[in-house]
Parts: sequence; structure tokens; C-alpha cells
Amino acid sequence: MPERTPEDRLREEYFDLLPQIRRVAWYLEAEIRYHTREIFQRLKPYEQLVIKSRVKECESAVKTLRDRQEGRTFDPDKLKGYSLLRLSDLAGVRILVFPNARVVEVDHLLREHFQGWTYKPVKDDTGVAIVPKYWGYCDKVCNKVRGEYQVVPMLLGLFWEVEHSAMYKFKAVAEFKEMKKHRADVEHALSRFEGGIEQFVQEYSEPPSETSK
Amino acid sequence: MKKDVLRDADYWYNFDRDIFYNRKAKKAFSLEFVDDKPEEEILQRIGENTNGGGWTFYFNSEPSDGVKRELERVLG
Repeated sequence: MPERTPEDRLREEYFDLLPQIRRVAWYLEAEIRYHTREIFQRLKPYEQLVIKSRVKECESAVKTLRDRQEGRTFDPDKLKGYSLLRLSDLAGVRILVFPNARVVEVDHLLREHFQGWTYKPVKDDTGVAIVPKYWGYCDKVCNKVRGEYQVVPMLLGLFWEVEHSAMYKFKAVAEFKEMKKHRADVEHALSRFEGGIEQFVQEYSEPPSETSK
Repeated sequence: MKKDVLRDADYWYNFDRDIFYNRKAKKAFSLEFVDDKPEEEILQRIGENTNGGGWTFYFNSEPSDGVKRELERVLG
């Protein structure tokens, strides 16, 4: 019989944890939906608030942990030296918001309800925080598996859905100067687009007092 | 650029392990090592005589014997 590898043991751990991961994802999504319902109700027709939860897949979780090791290789002699519980995004919620002003509003609101969670923003290649991200425990359902949520400008989030899955496989390519520049160009363009919409709406919307006349 | 230096010295990139390797020279550089070290050091390591026996791994943190074994198996 072939020897068990650290990957085998982590897969076993994953399926032991799966019911708890699902519970955390479900609970976190429900909490976030509940707390943002008031914002959702007063969204303008062109504004969007989309809440998506996801359970990290088994192979993705194992690979993420493996990718933290230099040489992306587990030590086969340390069979029990690794645990998926070190990952903060086994259960994750992504809140996609458009336009940007709503991102700030949603972020502030949720921060009040998730006090004590650790702030670990997504940063751009120059080290500037561009997306607020937090992790912590949903103690009411599980104190073992951490949950994570991030509040993402919608256009950027949708771009990342494609970009991350491509760059995830080609880490070295993602680090090339040219690719960093291309990525920064897209992110700036999307941000300018959102800014343009917000500015237009601000300049051309009739003030509330005029509307009510 | 550091990555060009490796390319010019016939190093390939293993996308699964994020290492640059040359089977003939039996040397492998981790992505972290390449990112952190200056180009001169990469050049010096490429030219270094390793007596050709087993694989030599240039990592920021010395890999354990188990990791070396596993990478040697992958690199062939």
C-alpha cells in the first residue's frame, strides 16, 4: 500500500471539517445579509449589492497551504505538521458593491457588527490597501474554523474572478513587472469608471428638497 | 532582469512548485530566493561549482531532507 502523504492527511482533515466550514459560510452570509438589508432596500436602480458565500474546495485548500511552503512542497516526514485550520478563508463571503461610495458604507456598517475580527486588507502591488478584508470566528456556530469576508468594488471583484484563477496558476508570471503594470492599469481604469459614474450622478441628480416640491 | 538571467542560463520554470531549475546543472532556485536576492548573487550561484552529484537547492530557508527528496522526485 502506498505511503500516506501530507496531502492525503489534509484531505481527510478537510472532509472532517466540511460540515463546520459549511455552517460558518452559511451563518456568515446570513449575518451579512441581515445587517446590510437596510442598505439593500435603499439602493438606487443602478446600484448593486451582491453577497456571495463560498466554501473553499478541498484541492484548493490543500494547494493554498502547500503554496505557503518555499518550493511548494510539504515535508513527507512531517505528516501531522500541517493543518487546514491555519487558513482563514475556508469559509468566505464576498460582498460585491457598486458604486464605490457604497463600499465604504457597507464596510463601516459590518465593522460595527464584527468587532474583534482581524483586518487584513487586500493590497495592490504598491502596498496600498484596496479592499477591506476581515477574518474571525463565528462563535455561535463554530470556534474552530475561521470565516472571512471582504467588501469589494464590484467591477474589481468581477475582474478578479477571472484574473485570480489565471494568475493563481502562474504565480511567477503575476510577479513580472509587465503583468503588474497591466493589472494596475485595469484596476485604475475600473476605479476611474466607477468614479466617473459617481461624479455624474452627484452633479446631475436633483437635490431631495427640489424633488419633493 | 533576474528572470532573464535564469532564462539565458537554460533554467526552466516549474509552475507547480514555483521553482526555476536546470536538470543538467542539477540546480533549483525557489521563487522567493530569486525575488529576494540581487542579480549578482543569482549569477554567482548559477556559475557555482557544485560537483554535479545531487541536486542543489537555493532557498531562503534550507529545505528539509524530506522536501529535497520530494523535489528531486518531481524534477527527475
